[in-house]
Amino acid sequence: MISNIERCYQCGQCTSVCPMGEQEQTYRIRRFLQMEKLGLESEESMITPFIFYCTTCYKCQDNCPQGVNLVDAVLAIREKAVHKGKMLEAHKKVGQMLINYGHAVPTNADAMEKRALLGLDERPPTVQASIEGLSEIKTLMRLTGFDNLVAESKVETIPENTTMVQQACFTQQQAAEEKA
Amino acid sequence: MSNLSLFLGCVAPNRYPGIEAATKKTFSKLGIELDDLEGASCCPAPGVFRSFDKTTWLTLASRNIALSEEMDDDLLTICNGCYSTLKEAETELKKDSGLKKEVNEKLFETGHEFRGKHDVRHIIEYLYQDIGVDGIREMVSNPLDLRVAVHYGCHLVQPLKENDSELVTDHITFFDELVEATGARSVEYEDKMMCCGAGGGARAAVQDATLRITEKKLQNMTEAQVDCIVNACPFCHLQFDTGQQDINKNSCTNYEIPVLHYTQLLGLAMGFSSEELGINLNSTDTAVFIQRIKEGFVTA
Repeated sequence: MISNIERCYQCGQCTSVCPMGEQEQTYRIRRFLQMEKLGLESEESMITPFIFYCTTCYKCQDNCPQGVNLVDAVLAIREKAVHKGKMLEAHKKVGQMLINYGHAVPTNADAMEKRALLGLDERPPTVQASIEGLSEIKTLMRLTGFDNLVAESKVETIPENTTMVQQACFTQQQAAEEKA
Repeated sequence: MSNLSLFLGCVAPNRYPGIEAATKKTFSKLGIELDDLEGASCCPAPGVFRSFDKTTWLTLASRNIALSEEMDDDLLTICNGCYSTLKEAETELKKDSGLKKEVNEKLFETGHEFRGKHDVRHIIEYLYQDIGVDGIREMVSNPLDLRVAVHYGCHLVQPLKENDSELVTDHITFFDELVEATGARSVEYEDKMMCCGAGGGARAAVQDATLRITEKKLQNMTEAQVDCIVNACPFCHLQFDTGQQDINKNSCTNYEIPVLHYTQLLGLAMGFSSEELGINLNSTDTAVFIQRIKEGFVTA
């Protein structure tokens, strides 16, 4: 269970300083905490996928007069959602990267070329260049059940209204040409 | 050797290898040869993997620390995300013997053991505490006449807040001091301590919103008329560097601020070329910046 969210008295200081809350009206950390406190799990559609928007910047936590470990709380709420099969497609892919390569961001041809230019080995001396290391990673993820977690999770899609509206870029000259 | 092993993480070696090269070159010049941490994996990332399954997060983190301990080294990270994961995992395991036992039972299957006898260090914290601002200044052969927007990054400050209250006061300056030791000026700008936008898996979940956070920072940096951004985290680096291209495309803007990891700034001040440090390999065009450095954009 989450550490100390019972101390939250819903003052909203966390939400008022949240950089993600400023950008996304649906991201309201105070609401997530209140729902978690009240055990409103039937309303979880209001939590996912929004709970995954937190950048873990800790600004809410720094601003909390009650000393609530807000970021820990958000991560714990997420963990519960993920274990229930609620996971974003993008995050599932990141999880599969970890399983397949041992890295969340694995190498590619462009990176290998840049490494060679810098006089570095094309593959870094990490699990990227170690079959034995990768096999250890896979063993550990099998022992913790992570492979099943990522493989079996259902996928939540992000509502369309959160995608950026593409704007056409016009230079002043282009705009003038359009007028002409 | 140096009793320090270099933890590369994912983004530095696989997207911005200039950061890896700059770290090795500047440390070599400081007389410190860093040990490679062979077979290390993703840290794993603090916001994402920790929130998927904390046990997995802790287990993989402890394996990485164990690899470093097997070399009798402290572990040096060049990334805030890696620092957050490895420092927090180390702290939790050192204080909770039950948890340590549980993790070690899994690690045993791969022939490793977390002992908790060594430390996890962030490169900025290490340089500030073990080399010192004066020590850095002594190594500068080409003092840089640059206006710098210093970006600390959330996951550098947070673990230090819990582990080292001396560095994290109401007015944090340790990173600025290291930047100014190169001759550069750390310029004040609005919302300096704000997040780059990318962390916690948000970049993957809702990239457009993270870019709007980034753009706010870029606006503030532009208003402060900086020559470059200096960070201590390859993931912030990625968000600022490739993010500028995405923002320009989507928002009709024309941001072109060079993005440097601290080791790259230090490398310039030590006399390495931009090419040796991989500054030319960014997504955002750095040609003008590099030309100015070449033409002696230094106080000398």
